Amino acid sequence: MEAQKSATMTPRTNVASGRRSLGFEKTNLRYTPGQLTALRIPTSRRKPNTRNDIDPEQLAYIANIEWKLSYVTPLYKFRHTQLVLYSKQLSAFIVAEKQKGIAVEVGPEMGFKVVFSVVLGMTETDEDAETVFIKICSKPAFAVEGSAVKVVWSGWFTCVNGNLDYMRSLPSDFVSLPLFCTNGPESITALVKSWFTRMFDCYFGPLSLNSSILQWLGALWTECHPASNIRYLKLAWNLPTLPPLDISYTVHPQDAWNLWSSIRQNDSMEDGISIEEVRRFMKGLESHFFRHFRMHLSAGMLTRICTSLGSAHCDGTIKITGTQYITPVLMLLTECAQLKMPI
Amino acid sequence: MSSIKPFSKLPQLNTANVLLVENEGKLQNDLADAIVQQENNVNVTVRLARGLPLPAENEENRPRIDLVVFIVHLSSELSLVSTENSLKQLDTGYFLGKVCFLVTGARCGLVPDERLVSLRKLAGSLHCPLLFAEDQTREGVSTAAQRVLKILRVSAGLVPMVTGLYLSSLTRCTVPLDSDGSVQD
Repeated sequence: MEAQKSATMTPRTNVASGRRSLGFEKTNLRYTPGQLTALRIPTSRRKPNTRNDIDPEQLAYIANIEWKLSYVTPLYKFRHTQLVLYSKQLSAFIVAEKQKGIAVEVGPEMGFKVVFSVVLGMTETDEDAETVFIKICSKPAFAVEGSAVKVVWSGWFTCVNGNLDYMRSLPSDFVSLPLFCTNGPESITALVKSWFTRMFDCYFGPLSLNSSILQWLGALWTECHPASNIRYLKLAWNLPTLPPLDISYTVHPQDAWNLWSSIRQNDSMEDGISIEEVRRFMKGLESHFFRHFRMHLSAGMLTRICTSLGSAHCDGTIKITGTQYITPVLMLLTECAQLKMPI
Repeated sequence: MSSIKPFSKLPQLNTANVLLVENEGKLQNDLADAIVQQENNVNVTVRLARGLPLPAENEENRPRIDLVVFIVHLSSELSLVSTENSLKQLDTGYFLGKVCFLVTGARCGLVPDERLVSLRKLAGSLHCPLLFAEDQTREGVSTAAQRVLKILRVSAGLVPMVTGLYLSSLTRCTVPLDSDGSVQD
């Protein structure tokens, strides 16, 4: 218990280096190219349970905002102890980039204040690096003292229950924070990404959510229904007909729960959900639709899933409203991001 | 309903017949045109079907089918499911080098990885070649036609010294390894 505490409080690059370098050679040998494809979405997951150990104030920054998802390769020489320094460097970089090509400063919005902070407790295992939250506020040139600053952009790097084999195979100077969520103008996102790319020698790529991930999310959220009312289960499909057909499908929460529990009864797995159950759940919804409209939803692509606990779109945007269930969602997204890692 | 058999009819001289099976009917026509246009020396007949088994009504007029190509679009689950159902209706004689799979959309990031994995397992367990194709561009379709033609010429017996069984033992898809390293059949 004591060791776990110290590991979460101190920056992980300092603590873990000894253990990592020990385990590194062993695991590195195991990574033959044939086996790397084994890094894939698992076939069963734990049931979501509520968590309260994350600071609610920090969670409030994350909840109710639509985040655009990207994946990031491991950051080289990123240290959680130097966040203040990073704040200064990034704000200087943004100002410099904004002033590029402008002879005389115009417009009031030239000052940017960047704040890096750590969100403690958003981890599952000791190996997960702590979440880093970045907030960019604009400072109008003639602001009145004490007036509220406007947050123009925010973003965060996280890793929840990352693949241990993968993380141990990294050299000790790398920090794996594979999931990057952003909210704000694209221009600032591009600037932040280019700063990180230069500073930490990493690479960003878009993270899209395929239909099996969306199905998992739908099942995980439906599973939460008795504990906290999901109010509705909305799904959207896109069928490749001529012209393309968008279908939106709303299920009453009680019906969704009845279907889900009728599927769950057959299996004895108490605290886990298997991919088979998720498939059967979706098949049940699809066959109900087929009975009414004679249309095979499985011929199309699932584009969106939405409950009162959150919503996700296949182009890689997600909004989490029910923050008590944030961990299973982030675990799923971390896995997705890690699947994109070049190995 | 009738099941086609590879050796129940006599072959015609200098003729090759291919059957394209696709549930959606998106790629079939373009691919058929491309195949017919590319081959000049041999009479190529392309037959199209949405699924197997084929209807019984034209049974007598139907020529011997030398190659069955299953077109699978990874973007839709239904495409994979209907292919699996059609495969059950196919005569076992075809699996001796007269079946191949043509997959589209494998590069699309929105496609779940499990679909390709299960298709590879299917092709691997049936010892059939798996071809990847691009269906959006004309170059992609003509490349796919070229590849299908190569296999068709062999399986129709138009290439001396090579049989379909021999070719497919060289080009068949290997069963992907599972995470624990064991091969699943």
